[in-house]
Amino acid sequence: MLDELREKCKQLLANGTVQVVIGYGQPAEAGGVVPVFITTPEDAQQLVWNDQCFANLTKYLLRSEIKALGKAAICVKGCDERALVVLERESQIDRTQIVVIGLLCDGVGQPRLPKCEACDVHKPRAADVLIGQPPADGQPLPAEQRYAALAAFLRKTPEERIAYWMAELSRCTKCYACRQVCPMCYCRQCIADKNRPVAISTSATLKGNFAWQITRAFHLASRCVGCDECSRVCPAGIDLRLLNLSLAQAAEKSFAFRAGMDPAAEPVIGAYREQDHEEFIR
Amino acid sequence: MSELLAATALRELVGRWLADGRRVAGPQCAKTHDDLHRHDLIRYGWLTAADQLLLAGFIRPLNSIKEFVFPRHEELYSYRFKGKQIELLPIETDPREQIIIGARPCDAAALGILDRVFNWDFRDEFYNRRRELTTVVTLACSEHDDHCFCTSVDSGPGDTRGSDVLLIPLEADQYEVRCLTEKGKRLFAGQTAASTTEGKVLAGPPPRLDLAAVGDFLDGGYENPEWQKITLRCLGCAACAYTCPTCHCFDMVDEGNAAGGVRVRNWDACQFAAFTVHVSGHNPRSVQAQRQRQRIYHKFQIYPKKFGELLCTGCGNCTRNCPVGLGVLPVLQSIVDKSQKNVPSPSGREC
Repeated sequence: MLDELREKCKQLLANGTVQVVIGYGQPAEAGGVVPVFITTPEDAQQLVWNDQCFANLTKYLLRSEIKALGKAAICVKGCDERALVVLERESQIDRTQIVVIGLLCDGVGQPRLPKCEACDVHKPRAADVLIGQPPADGQPLPAEQRYAALAAFLRKTPEERIAYWMAELSRCTKCYACRQVCPMCYCRQCIADKNRPVAISTSATLKGNFAWQITRAFHLASRCVGCDECSRVCPAGIDLRLLNLSLAQAAEKSFAFRAGMDPAAEPVIGAYREQDHEEFIR
Repeated sequence: MSELLAATALRELVGRWLADGRRVAGPQCAKTHDDLHRHDLIRYGWLTAADQLLLAGFIRPLNSIKEFVFPRHEELYSYRFKGKQIELLPIETDPREQIIIGARPCDAAALGILDRVFNWDFRDEFYNRRRELTTVVTLACSEHDDHCFCTSVDSGPGDTRGSDVLLIPLEADQYEVRCLTEKGKRLFAGQTAASTTEGKVLAGPPPRLDLAAVGDFLDGGYENPEWQKITLRCLGCAACAYTCPTCHCFDMVDEGNAAGGVRVRNWDACQFAAFTVHVSGHNPRSVQAQRQRQRIYHKFQIYPKKFGELLCTGCGNCTRNCPVGLGVLPVLQSIVDKSQKNVPSPSGREC
């Protein structure tokens, strides 16, 4: 599978289809698997694919430094590919200008990350190149299984839940790793950086942290694809996944919508029908 | 001769400090292992009970002790509008003594470094007030990981910069207590027993960086195109700066309404695009590589030229906390490696 990946990327670079391959590599000094940007056919040998390939690389398609390298091929797992669907729908990428290399994935991490336990997109569905042997066609997992972590959390009392969030968010320093790693956080000016006037307190106090994380969660409502990168990279170990799952569940319950699953589906925010639920308007 | 203290006695002593009304901070488990986080989350934090204190079984906390002297949010003064007048009011401060126990040498050394910044052209009363109330009890390291590089940056497991006391773990659940300052002596007076057993400070990680080569590179490497290549994966968050024991940049903002408010200072970081953006919209550091380059130059050239030591203690937190495995050590290792292989062209492109 690895040879197949390297060979394919080598070809894409050699025949000029793309100028850069955004993939995973393991340079000696990094001490682990990290994103790499391959620009010559010879360097395609540096690519790796294993269960330590955590990063959702789609974020890099939006960064000006990467755009400057030219037309890109990008390695995606099934979960990452959902981000491409949303980004295309939101006019952030031109899918025809990107070569998508889909990696068949049976989960990352030892043990597997929670998202992998509840994954039903092991196979990228719209990749231009598919690497790996397709497994038996996976059936969509029932919602109960996908939202099991949220359901377990919601069994706590409201008092326990607010105590949990107060303890968690008290550790947030507003390093914005959650935002920077998120493919859906592409605003040219984040509301958290607005200072004329200030929209969200820049203070990493409990109040300022609630304001930031709740605002971010709402901005991701029906857009978050559940890659869980925000939770993985948080230096304070805050399980932001629970906030995102909660809003994803709301979108699925009210609109039968899962972000990034169906390229043809109209986005929940940005589409309107007279039959839409309006009971929240008072 | 040395002075020894049993681990149980040390914990009892911490309990008495708390009972006396002193604020005590140290490594603790902020969150236990769960399905998302495979390891317990070990962080420095305020202790409410002595049994929360962790002194073994981990490399180093994922944050740093700077937040106890330079908090991520600090109120400087409040203001109130009275007609056309503005009334300034001081903020009430916490007068309690604070003790940081179990600090790693790479954290304690950073306080010595921060002292210079906050007392250079201006004596910062907020930093110094907390610093004067603080006693630092450092615990020498028993192990290191692949990210530690203290021994490559003029530090090491026995570095006593910034420490009032150095504890050296011995076998049989004991510590050798080396009091380094008067503050330290007062804290442990009458608590220890004299002995002939001396603790041995470990050698620490093997050399991982050639500082002379770094210096040579930085002297002429400002416009080297390698900066761009090496830092391309940086996503521009502040996980490195906010968990770094020596990074100390801050922003000042007014938080309030038409009646009045508070002037506060909050941590800020050079890795954010907004850090240098001008009112006009122009940003002199327009790409991430320039921001990474700035961080390295500040730590390894700008600060050292001014104050004679590095703005880095080799703790490795930048890499440990980086979402994409960057950080001071990998950046410098790559850049020195690459620059030795390819001599940069004199007309190197500005990155």
